Amino acid sequence: MDEFQEILQDFLVESFELVEKLDEDLVELESNPEDLELLNGIFRVAHTVKGASSFLNFDVLTHLTHHMEDVLNKARHGELTITPDIMDVILESVDLMKALLETIRDTSADAGIDVSACVARLDKVSGGTGEVETPAAAAPAPEPEVEVVEETPADEDELDYENMDPEEIEAEIERLLAQRQEEDKKKREAKLAAGEKVPQMPPEPQEETKEEDSTPPPPPPPPAAPKTTAPQGGNKGDGAKKDAPKAAAPTKRAPAAVEQTIRVDVKRLDHLMNLIGELVLAKNRLIKINDDVEERYEGEEFLEELNQVVSIVSLVTTDLQIAVMKTRMLPIGKVFNKFPRMIRDLSRELNKKIELEISGEETELDKSIVEEIGDPLVHIIRNSCDHGVEPPEERVAKGKPETGVIGLKAYNEGNQIVIQIDDDGKGLDPEMLKNKSLEKGIITEKEADTMSDKEAFGLIFKPGFSTAAQVTNVSGRGVGMDVVKTNIEKLNGIIDIDSEVGVGTSMKLKIPLTLAIIQALLVGVQEEYYAIPLASVLETVRISKDEIYTVEGKSVMRLRDEVLSLVHIGDIFEVERILDASEHAYVVVLGLGTSKLGLIVDTLVGQEEIVIKSLGDYLKGIEGIAGATIRGDGGVTLIVDVVALMQMARDVKASSLTEESGGVATSNEKTKASDYTIMIVDDSKTDRTIMRKALEPLGVTLVEASDGQEALNVLKAGEHNFDAMLIDIEMPRMDGYTLASEIKKYNRYKNLPLIAVTSRTGKSDRMRGVESGMVEYITKPYSADYLSSVVQRNVNFKSEFL
Amino acid sequence: MSDKLKQIINKQSEQQNTPELQLDNVVQLVGFVIGDEEYAVPILAIQEIIKPFSWTRVPQVPKYVLGVFNLRGAVIPLIDLRTKFGLSPKKHSDETRFIVMRHGDDVAGFVIDRLTMAIRIKKENIGPAPDTIVGDETMIEGVGKQEDKIITILKVNKLLERDF
Repeated sequence: MDEFQEILQDFLVESFELVEKLDEDLVELESNPEDLELLNGIFRVAHTVKGASSFLNFDVLTHLTHHMEDVLNKARHGELTITPDIMDVILESVDLMKALLETIRDTSADAGIDVSACVARLDKVSGGTGEVETPAAAAPAPEPEVEVVEETPADEDELDYENMDPEEIEAEIERLLAQRQEEDKKKREAKLAAGEKVPQMPPEPQEETKEEDSTPPPPPPPPAAPKTTAPQGGNKGDGAKKDAPKAAAPTKRAPAAVEQTIRVDVKRLDHLMNLIGELVLAKNRLIKINDDVEERYEGEEFLEELNQVVSIVSLVTTDLQIAVMKTRMLPIGKVFNKFPRMIRDLSRELNKKIELEISGEETELDKSIVEEIGDPLVHIIRNSCDHGVEPPEERVAKGKPETGVIGLKAYNEGNQIVIQIDDDGKGLDPEMLKNKSLEKGIITEKEADTMSDKEAFGLIFKPGFSTAAQVTNVSGRGVGMDVVKTNIEKLNGIIDIDSEVGVGTSMKLKIPLTLAIIQALLVGVQEEYYAIPLASVLETVRISKDEIYTVEGKSVMRLRDEVLSLVHIGDIFEVERILDASEHAYVVVLGLGTSKLGLIVDTLVGQEEIVIKSLGDYLKGIEGIAGATIRGDGGVTLIVDVVALMQMARDVKASSLTEESGGVATSNEKTKASDYTIMIVDDSKTDRTIMRKALEPLGVTLVEASDGQEALNVLKAGEHNFDAMLIDIEMPRMDGYTLASEIKKYNRYKNLPLIAVTSRTGKSDRMRGVESGMVEYITKPYSADYLSSVVQRNVNFKSEFL
Repeated sequence: MSDKLKQIINKQSEQQNTPELQLDNVVQLVGFVIGDEEYAVPILAIQEIIKPFSWTRVPQVPKYVLGVFNLRGAVIPLIDLRTKFGLSPKKHSDETRFIVMRHGDDVAGFVIDRLTMAIRIKKENIGPAPDTIVGDETMIEGVGKQEDKIITILKVNKLLERDF
């Protein structure tokens, strides 16, 4: 039973592959009915499926394919010309065949589908003769598998010829030729003419046809053998011997080619991709550590070696990532293949003449994207057929060629794949679109007035929009295009429309190569970081606060000749404003299709390659967050969902960014001396003790820190409400200047008096102290009284506590 | 003779059975403290217990969801049980721990004030949750009675369920 299942699986995989190709071939055949090779190919598919299904006892399928074979066989022999009507029947039978295969896949049986009607039509097409002999006779002849199998023995035979008489060989050759020449006749006539024996043969086509039709030949020898031996026949055994390897060459290649590919479970590839993701993260981390080490041990010899290793690891990781990504890549042709058939059906249904031009079908995309992109493309192409391309009469009247052309092409553009769908139909009329949307209440009059043409084109993606005056069953249910948009955006892709009335419409779908690893721009707001997919970032600009204007409660800025609406990332993600915003801000200009938005951030960190991780079930669906990634330092950074962010931005009012936040530091009323808290920051224990001794008599609370970093942590912890800080300048980890400027970044410490206590006496040192926000500058050595008085002055120490 | 033998065999099998019975009857829990109360969850639901480290805030979630953290390459939500149970937030101390719990595919880290110990408790000593809080919505699996105290046993699947 298991064995049967295995065979069945193979059968299904093979059949589906064959059928997929069949569709494309059939449509091509219709426009090119004389193409014998194409016909042979199609016939072989029907035949292969028939053979395998009869072996597996799928009677219904066998029955159907058998009759298909009849028709195709007639066509193959020129007894039947493929007309569109006949093609309809054939296509119908192919559809049935697909349906049967699907049933078999799901239920392991082919019951439940009625094929008799179709079979009857097929019979009618083949002239109602339905001779049993025709298929039986034709069956073995073109069977490819048998040929392959037979070739090897044929080769071996040929090797044996070495030991034969020349006469025997000639006789053998003649025998082979007699069996074989019919199929090779046309192509090889010229060659055969050169041969000595053969000229007699060509003039007997009648006989050949008969032979082909009635003798169920023991599978014929390979075409290669007679071809090569024929001209050399006169050269006796020598020729045959020499040619044997040549003939063998193509045969040998065939099995080798089979082993060039293996089927791999997608799960394994996914796992591999995940592992690569981890590796990329580790690489990022390694690079970060390397940078840190470089800073700390500048000039050390081992650094160079470390550098080399790090760059090799990072290089190999990148290559590995690309290589693994490629294993998941499929040519987009897999999706494109079904469109010729679709266009053909549609044009017959709509009574239009439409031609499909496909290019770039070899362009590769990640498997998961290939699977997702099919439906949106179907919608778009249906739409182009239905609403874009005009009926033939109208086209002629407009002076256009009768046949409309829909172009479907795919190409790489940077890190993206572009799929472009062009039609030469009537194009989109922005005014018409606006009026329509107004009628349906999708937009307001005001919006319509300010709308650019591009934005108007974007209206077709609004839910509830349908431009077809008449709803047809092809498209125009008003659901299609907004689904297209959502699907494309799900893939992190964008849609770009361009159109000219009367000339045509062009849609570009821009889709990232892969979903798992993306380039992102890291931005900072307050103490948080966010990653923005680089694909949506158009540019970044640095502006000063005065460049931000408020219009109708929204922040905007002028970017070249455009007015760009602005939103602060902190307002969207509810970031607490602890740090004081500086005079300048960075604006990340986001673009999605035609809409643009300026996102104000505090800092730009840089560009990084990030691995997208999901937030899991518990946190999924958070508006504005597409996922998370793990950074080089092991921390988690959230990834911005640009689509959702643009939606959210509409509801956000102008940020309080331009307003000065009121004085937060409402210091509590002091009732006793110990309510005053002062921090002493110095790396020398002695110095700290001296300061402590000087201040203790006041009775104030003293907190000590041994360097800037520690001081900052104590401050952030918020356990004490400090009234002043005494800061030494020379300290490890973080010096006094840095500490002062860090503290001054916080709104609530703006008015905290910082007093420098240092042995640096230079004027420039004093200047730096002032610049970094120090209010007093005490030079060591100092008297205890002096220090005490300076502190008292700065904390407004009430004299009654003395 | 055969009777005696039977008795002995019976006795032996009884002896063999008893420890197994005991194992079946005992639930192993891990106890921890939040605020003033002691709680416990089944030991098998715990993936690991780690010391606190930095996490990343996530916007638009209830206060008790602190954010997400990186557990060896996986991004895991972090939930503060103090806030979830309506207590005022407290600064993390040396005793604060993250308990990573798993139920099926759902994983999350929970911040607790202090671990107590692994507890073995007999099934018969576990009572149902008080009537007033019984229902589908309760997070309480039952109440375990020990000599001197009672422990609230929590439902891990409820803890890991998103309720916003």
